[in-house]
Amino acid sequence: MSMGAAPDDLTTALAACAKGDRTALRGIFDREAGRLVTIAERIVRRRDLAEEVVQESFIRIWTQAHQYQPDRGSARGWIYAIVRNRALNLLRDGKREYTVEDVDVLRERDQVDHVMAAWHRLDRTSRLHDCLGALDDTKRRGILMAYIGGYSHGEIAGRLSIPLGTTKSWIRRGLSALRECMT
Amino acid sequence: MSEDRTDIGGIADEYVLGLLDAMEARQVEADMERDPDLKAAIAASRERFLPLDDTAEPTVIDDDLWSRIDAALPVQGAAPADVSRLTANDNRPGSWRATALAAMVAAVILAVALSFNLMRTVEPLVVAVLVNEAGDIQAIVEDFGNEKAAVRLLADFTVPEGKTIEVWTLPSPERGPVSLGLIDDARSVRLDGPALPKPHDSQLYELTLEQAGGSPTGRPTGLILAKGFAKITR
Repeated sequence: MSMGAAPDDLTTALAACAKGDRTALRGIFDREAGRLVTIAERIVRRRDLAEEVVQESFIRIWTQAHQYQPDRGSARGWIYAIVRNRALNLLRDGKREYTVEDVDVLRERDQVDHVMAAWHRLDRTSRLHDCLGALDDTKRRGILMAYIGGYSHGEIAGRLSIPLGTTKSWIRRGLSALRECMT
Repeated sequence: MSEDRTDIGGIADEYVLGLLDAMEARQVEADMERDPDLKAAIAASRERFLPLDDTAEPTVIDDDLWSRIDAALPVQGAAPADVSRLTANDNRPGSWRATALAAMVAAVILAVALSFNLMRTVEPLVVAVLVNEAGDIQAIVEDFGNEKAAVRLLADFTVPEGKTIEVWTLPSPERGPVSLGLIDDARSVRLDGPALPKPHDSQLYELTLEQAGGSPTGRPTGLILAKGFAKITR
């Protein structure tokens, strides 16, 4: 898998953004926006909404660039988190405007495929691949559905046909095992 | 929340995965600014899951998208008024500006200075000043910690037919958001809430617009009218 820009480049670009350098933001856009739209689309399901998410996120990256510090993780992780959060918020809000049935139809179509495709594309040499692979299937699916597709606990429980409380505790245990495996 | 949290790693992961509900996520975002351990746990969690983002195939982007961004960028260092306009009519928690938080701090001082509760015989344990997305003060919640709370509205709210204002707090992420009650006539009220642990510093309070009778799910579902973090009264 390609890794996009080197983290140091993005750190430098964020610092330049904080000083008002629009070409630095354009640089981040050129390197990352294509992938970020895909990531947002995996969560919000619609290309137009995904672009809206990325548009708002870049304005946010611009206005908050001065707040970025290495103690918030890598510059890339920070940028990606802004887009993911924005997509998740849009999803949470959007859900309020649909009936439960609409949402089910919207989300069901090909979403589970997306999630499993991402799993199969995950860099096999990565530690994350090893550690996710060591989890049992249900826990792995739950975690992937949440991260990649933006599914809530309730939606995961519904898709996997397991009770909500069980889903929550399985995911919690899966995450705990994952942390242990990756440290 | 920081005090009673036993599983920072778990909370960080659930936040990063997007498994917390909106109100819990906002609390985590506020807490991480004060809690270096939580901030570090969130950073580590993001890095752990980042390889999953690399599985996303980049799509071809129309140059139009950049033009829209470029046109909306505020001048760096200027008041980000443009940003708030961009997301007006949108209750996404992420769009609440940092200035709103700054205004809250100022507002707490203001509220204490105003001392509208000087004549009171029972003192609230915490006071939260609630602001809207623009950072304007909308209400003050006093939580007495004995299943009683008072909400003083400091702005005019328009409540559409068939809707009501519901008051919420987040005692802990484990428990999730809890309703303190409804404000039916958009007037200041005293509420008899459920039995909850003693309110703590920085506990989140918010007002949302819900259907008459209150949220059907028992969780906030509607537009956020105002929110703020509690301060312990001294």
